[in-house]
Amino acid sequence: MRNMIVLNVVTKRFNTLTAVDNITCRVEKGEFFALLGPNGAGKTTVVRMLLGFIKPTSGSITIDGIPVSNPQARKQVGYLAENHMIPPYLSGHEYLRRHAALIGSTGKDALMEVDRVLEVVSMKGREKEKSAAYSKGMKQRTGLAAALLGQPKLLILDEPVTGLDPLGIRDVRNILENLRDQGVTVFLNSHFLSEVEKTCRTLAIMNNGRILVKDSIRSIIEDDETLEDVFIKYTE
Amino acid sequence: MNRFLKITGYTIRDQMRHKSFFVLLGLSILFVMMIRGCYNGQYVVNGRQLNNVMVAWHVSKIVFQIIASGMFLIVILLSMKIFSRDHEDGSQVLFLSRPVFRWQYILGRITGTWLLSLIFMFILHATIFLTAWIKTGAIIPGYLTASLVCSINLLFIVVSVCFLSLFLPDFISAVFTVGGLFIGYISDGGYQILHSGIFKTSMPSVPASSPAMWRILYPKVYMVQAYADSIISQSSFNSMGPVHPILNVAFYIILITTLMLVTFDRKEI
Repeated sequence: MRNMIVLNVVTKRFNTLTAVDNITCRVEKGEFFALLGPNGAGKTTVVRMLLGFIKPTSGSITIDGIPVSNPQARKQVGYLAENHMIPPYLSGHEYLRRHAALIGSTGKDALMEVDRVLEVVSMKGREKEKSAAYSKGMKQRTGLAAALLGQPKLLILDEPVTGLDPLGIRDVRNILENLRDQGVTVFLNSHFLSEVEKTCRTLAIMNNGRILVKDSIRSIIEDDETLEDVFIKYTE
Repeated sequence: MNRFLKITGYTIRDQMRHKSFFVLLGLSILFVMMIRGCYNGQYVVNGRQLNNVMVAWHVSKIVFQIIASGMFLIVILLSMKIFSRDHEDGSQVLFLSRPVFRWQYILGRITGTWLLSLIFMFILHATIFLTAWIKTGAIIPGYLTASLVCSINLLFIVVSVCFLSLFLPDFISAVFTVGGLFIGYISDGGYQILHSGIFKTSMPSVPASSPAMWRILYPKVYMVQAYADSIISQSSFNSMGPVHPILNVAFYIILITTLMLVTFDRKEI
């Protein structure tokens, strides 16, 4: 099976509002995919449906061939939410150990894996502090560390650089580029067009619940254009 | 199953991290320490000294019911914020973004809170049991068994509050649960009084009437406590209706938990 994510004629309505309107989209394994769109376009609704947090009104969604209604679909998925929250009574280390335990990693393996991801997101040394004392950027880094636990096959990142300073943004970009080179499938939902342009290979632009275009970045952006020009062209 | 057990363990640890838990624990210990004095006194009625063992037995029985009822308040306080707090602090996303079934999350949270409450209540009852034993040298048979019997009421309260909190603000769901318990206490307590030996002796002319159907079907939380009391007293138990109160409460626990699982399965995170 080549497709990691398949959204098949998916619609999501909230009362009278149609947040996602009959979208069909495939993300291949190893693809580095970005979903772009203005606020209210339906991107976060798509992400929430991918994780099974909300159910589509109609249509079907699978991850690696498994319907997302089955929690096993999330076994190889790492997720970073926009404005990532960590229970304030947990330290970063405890939080990551819980994530590790829930994906089946325990004992020494879990500790080693937690240490590895803390190193990757540059949070080593702060992991024993309660997360209530973390800044927004530190919470985001810890959330990214949680998403990287267990070397997932698919990473779903919802605005991963929100709250990060320029150094943090650079670090995240480096992490994502490494993952891309390792063949991890990444589904990125972001407003940071410059980051998307630097890291992603395929993108889709959404507006009013519909996917307006989906193709490789090279095909979408013409010679004299920037991604910003393309974004404005499709969404304005 | 493994993840359900993990969430149960996390719930116990999480509940114990909140300051309110230690405040409640402190108040409960203070209460038990105050009661201790009742076992030391010499009680004289009409010039006759009462048997210390009998006094201790009666005090222990009263305190048993005070602890069992007081635990209702503690359990309500522990349960009412489970889902709203998990939603606000990211715990729901933590669990449900992983390969965790929603039933594992719900049942893990409920079981953890119930086990913690059960242990809490058992420790308080065991303290009274040991105090009575040490002070009088007499063991009250069935005291600890009765504590375990009453723990089914705690589970009923946990599922009721959690279920209501899916629809209502936390405080309102707690008030509704207290209201429901109060109605049961009035209904079942009245029935127990009307069918007690003392009442029949003192007012033999009052005819015994069968209770209305809703009273028979109503959750029998009070009756479970009355049954626990009969275990301590080693006396006969006068149940309302053909169904034993434990089965009645167990039925409601299963019903409410099922409704909660169905409701939460449709809930948007």
